[in-house]
Amino acid sequence: MVSSCMHIVIKSIVVAVLLNFSFLSTLSYGQGDKNQYILNDITKMYMASMTFIFKSQPLINQRAGDKTVLFGDNFIDNIKTTYRAKYGDEFPELDHFLKKMLLQAMVEVMEDNRALFNDDEIGFKGIIPAIFAAQLSAKLSTKGIGLKIKFTRTKDDIRNVLNLPDEWEEMVMKKVIDKPAVYFDNNGMLEGNPAYRQFTPLPMAAHCLKCHGSMKHNPLNFGKDKSQWTNIDMTGFEMENWTLSDFGGGVSLSIEKSVLE
Amino acid sequence: MIFLTHRDTENHLKSSLNFFLFCILFLFAGSTYSKSLKIGIVEYPPHLIFQKNQVSGKLFDYINNVLSPLNYDIEIVRLPNGRGVLELKKGNVDMLLPYDDVTKGIDTLASPLFHPVPGLCFKKENFIPILSATHRFKELTVGVPLGASIVPALKNSEAILLEIKGDDAISRGIALTQIGRIDAFYHPSPAQVYHQENKAYKELACSYFHGYSNGVFIAVSPFMKHKDFQVVDARLKEAMAVMTYSYYFAK
Repeated sequence: MVSSCMHIVIKSIVVAVLLNFSFLSTLSYGQGDKNQYILNDITKMYMASMTFIFKSQPLINQRAGDKTVLFGDNFIDNIKTTYRAKYGDEFPELDHFLKKMLLQAMVEVMEDNRALFNDDEIGFKGIIPAIFAAQLSAKLSTKGIGLKIKFTRTKDDIRNVLNLPDEWEEMVMKKVIDKPAVYFDNNGMLEGNPAYRQFTPLPMAAHCLKCHGSMKHNPLNFGKDKSQWTNIDMTGFEMENWTLSDFGGGVSLSIEKSVLE
Repeated sequence: MIFLTHRDTENHLKSSLNFFLFCILFLFAGSTYSKSLKIGIVEYPPHLIFQKNQVSGKLFDYINNVLSPLNYDIEIVRLPNGRGVLELKKGNVDMLLPYDDVTKGIDTLASPLFHPVPGLCFKKENFIPILSATHRFKELTVGVPLGASIVPALKNSEAILLEIKGDDAISRGIALTQIGRIDAFYHPSPAQVYHQENKAYKELACSYFHGYSNGVFIAVSPFMKHKDFQVVDARLKEAMAVMTYSYYFAK
């Protein structure tokens, strides 16, 4: 009698443990899925901001005029509009503090550049998408929120040393350079801490070639005789002679697991 | 019936005495713990601006908003640059803001207020917008305040660095740039001079070494009461979690 009772109790415990275990594994799968969703949203928000900066180059570089769309809530509204147009989807809900912090950091970066944007005596301001992205990365790194975004490329071709790829990014780029696809890693590390990492390769686009293409793409050479062409682009760097079939680099996003779990 | 032994009586007396001492200490502590704070501030445009007898700027507003729920009697003391730390060390002020020289071993509240980015200021016609293009520094004469911590991107470039001495090295560096004696001037926080409210440096334009910023904090006096420190520190953290100062400034 006692032994049959014990048997039932042990059986119940085993079933309960198994049920709990399967519940936990389902939960952790669901959680991981949700985390990847957050990473995707953040990457797309970041990309939308770069697109808006690209589209706003005439406004940014013009010497006068109303530039209020570049600041504060106006800037956020424009990123949302750009996002909807770019992805044909609603702008993500700000249901995680990292998304809110990302938008706040974007506004802060634009504010940092306010004096320059409104400087009527400077034409080219230098706030192109890659520079905006670098400033945003630097801004986020000061916040200590476990979120890192970097617009990077293979080591030998990088212009800004602060965007040099780390080992993980080097490894991923080797994998995706010929078969571009989003690479997600839920066992990554960020500055010694476990992290979710995602690399989103970007296709080379015609506008990239204005700086990274050959002399014929350089807007500084437009309308000039070939003998006067320069291979220095408008940002002051030597052009790389890339073509549309070259690798365009990508957005590397890392979020410490402790922030999401 | 309970009989008290000599030892019981002694213990009872001891506990009564302890209780009595506790009450005295409690009352005494209550009477000395005053809710007042003396805050030293130094000018730090565009965040803190001194004009005539007025202090303005978003940092002033933000700190007011942060501290007001704590119900301290707050006295603001305007201090010239350089004297702030001395007054803080002497205990003449409880806190000093903004404070960005972490090399001096002064305690600060945990949360940095913001992160100024160092950069170069040029005459507008010589402006270099992107400072990661360090090859463009070749043979540029760049004035640097003596003792300033220079970012590696500039240090390792081919720029000719000219040290500028004196307490007013920053103003002199800017003046030398304006008259063309040097090509550019290294500023630990160009945003302090390159902003729209500042008409004095209209002919300059500045760009930044992004990625090389340091925090600006609220420094605390070694004599500040620990309880005050904890209360203010916790309140600042709480406020920053709701809205950082940087975003408040940008919004």
